[in-house]
Amino acid sequence: MLYRVIDATELPALVEAFMESYEVVAPVKRDRGYAFEAIESPDQIVLDYVSTIVSPKKFFLPPEEPLFSFDRESNDVTEFEAEVTPRVIFGAHACDINGLCRLDAVFRDGRYPDPYYCARRAATLIVGISCMPDENCFCHLLGSDEARFGYDLFLQDIGGKYLVSISSVEAANILEAACEVREATDEDRIEFRHATRRRQRAFNPEIPNIQEVAMLMDAFHEDDFWEELGGRCLSCGACAAVCPTCHCFDIRDVLEPDGKTGQRVRMADCCTDPQFALVAGGHNFRETNTLRVRHRFYHKLNGFLANHDRMLCVGCGRCVKACKANINPIEVLKFFARKGAEDVE
Amino acid sequence: MSNNLASTVQVSPLSEYVPELTGEQMIAANPYRPWAARITSIQELTATEKLFEMRIVDERIRHAFKHEPGQFVEVSIFGVGEAPISITSSPTKQGFIELCIRNTGAFTARLHQMQCGDIVGLRGPYGRGFPVEQMKGSDILLVAGGIGIAPLRSLINNIHDERSEFGKVTIIYGSRSPKEVMFRDQFEMWRHRNDFDLHLTVDYPDDSWDGEVGLVTKPFETLEIDPDNTFGAVCGPPVMYRFVIDAMRQKGVSYDHIYCSFERHMKCGMGKCGHCQIGHQYVCLDGPVFNYWEAKNIQGSM
Repeated sequence: MLYRVIDATELPALVEAFMESYEVVAPVKRDRGYAFEAIESPDQIVLDYVSTIVSPKKFFLPPEEPLFSFDRESNDVTEFEAEVTPRVIFGAHACDINGLCRLDAVFRDGRYPDPYYCARRAATLIVGISCMPDENCFCHLLGSDEARFGYDLFLQDIGGKYLVSISSVEAANILEAACEVREATDEDRIEFRHATRRRQRAFNPEIPNIQEVAMLMDAFHEDDFWEELGGRCLSCGACAAVCPTCHCFDIRDVLEPDGKTGQRVRMADCCTDPQFALVAGGHNFRETNTLRVRHRFYHKLNGFLANHDRMLCVGCGRCVKACKANINPIEVLKFFARKGAEDVE
Repeated sequence: MSNNLASTVQVSPLSEYVPELTGEQMIAANPYRPWAARITSIQELTATEKLFEMRIVDERIRHAFKHEPGQFVEVSIFGVGEAPISITSSPTKQGFIELCIRNTGAFTARLHQMQCGDIVGLRGPYGRGFPVEQMKGSDILLVAGGIGIAPLRSLINNIHDERSEFGKVTIIYGSRSPKEVMFRDQFEMWRHRNDFDLHLTVDYPDDSWDGEVGLVTKPFETLEIDPDNTFGAVCGPPVMYRFVIDAMRQKGVSYDHIYCSFERHMKCGMGKCGHCQIGHQYVCLDGPVFNYWEAKNIQGSM
């Protein structure tokens, strides 16, 4: 990896350079929170945001997306021309970049690459930025506090300047043209160490660090805890909507008013929806909230890991705020911590 | 003067040459796109089930379509939607795909109204089927309950068409009543063959029934099998699996020689939409056919 240093005062120039050939999406203040939105000027960007309400996944997997158009009379399919905007996501945190890498595993790198996702992913540059955790952040417990790949530039705040990891030629060219880029000095490297350690110390110590989460998800699969957690679930789907890695969808045909033509549309879905595992004939393989909530956490904290060697939860903490019933991975970690404590006594 | 040019042949420069895409490339370009298939035959099997025979219209796509017993396709009716349906025909039958479909919801009701010559959309095949190559040389014990005969018939017909490749073949097929027995003509034809040990059973017989009566596990009471050299294949309603698998285990068939086909609503078929997940597995990618050892290791499978 190539590392260079730029002054913080040069950041607006970098954003403007990106804006010349891309739509720049960045965290801006929106109501009581922050949101990733297309900006018109670098001044709009709030770089010391804690977390956005929803993750940047919406730019890769829109909540609703046509797959193709069809004509019912001729049974013809018209390929849908997905509109792909060359875009820079400026100021993504490590958790969200790691979340995107999880989506890459499903939509880009598997046996059936998804043409819509791949087109958007290829047309998007990611500029990451270092952050400080709030009380709901637990990315460090899931190995997502550092982005090792999946971005083009990563800006590490080292006090009035940025240590920049450069991982693509496209971004390197723009960076070098827009900013005065210099080699990192020993002083910069020491600043980087200080910044990293400040960050590590800032995580909420009340969120328990459970090393063997995946195995515990199997071991405590039948525990009453899931009934307690499931009993509170409102099946609202807010958790999946804000999650940077939730990607389940439904596929439906939507007809035009003439009834002759229409579109096949995929729309975001959530495994806590009561009908999610319903099959033809009426059998529901996950009939209760308990089974559905347990499945959701099982997939986040075990199932995905078994297939892709990393957890599907990246510890961004969004669902902690979004869930009105206080159902979230921190509750699961705390449950495992309690179980450990009981055994010792 | 123009006559002098009459023999001129127009040759396109090489740069304009665009090689024709193969069927595989056409499918990969957008895996969500269904391809037109014509219904070539419809056979009523029972009051609620019909057997549809289909032929993919585009020749290149048709040639690219190669399935194994146990795999499924996504069937489209534009404006109504899409549904995963297991393939009922054997891969040895080429050019046509048979689907056995129960009228059970909005989509299948619409399909049941369709006529020969009508067009539907198909994409696939998807999933992992029965390990036919691995099964060759061994005895095969097939157990189907109800609509579970649909995916198993693909394997049964495959075995039939390559009969000398397999050892002893036992088929147990249970239905609720004689009226619900599917593919009766076919099994009637095989009745006096001694290379298929056929047990058709019903729970509730009528006056016309001269087959066995009782659950699908009943024929196990008298069954003699060579457990070290037997593959089991099971498909039926969810409640059936435990009893049939227990019966096979009691006969000594190894965990990893018992294969069962799982039913879920595979909406995308490509390991993305999440609807068919069980534990850490996607039925559409890792299944729908799992052996019992794999199934035991999936949280929430049984």
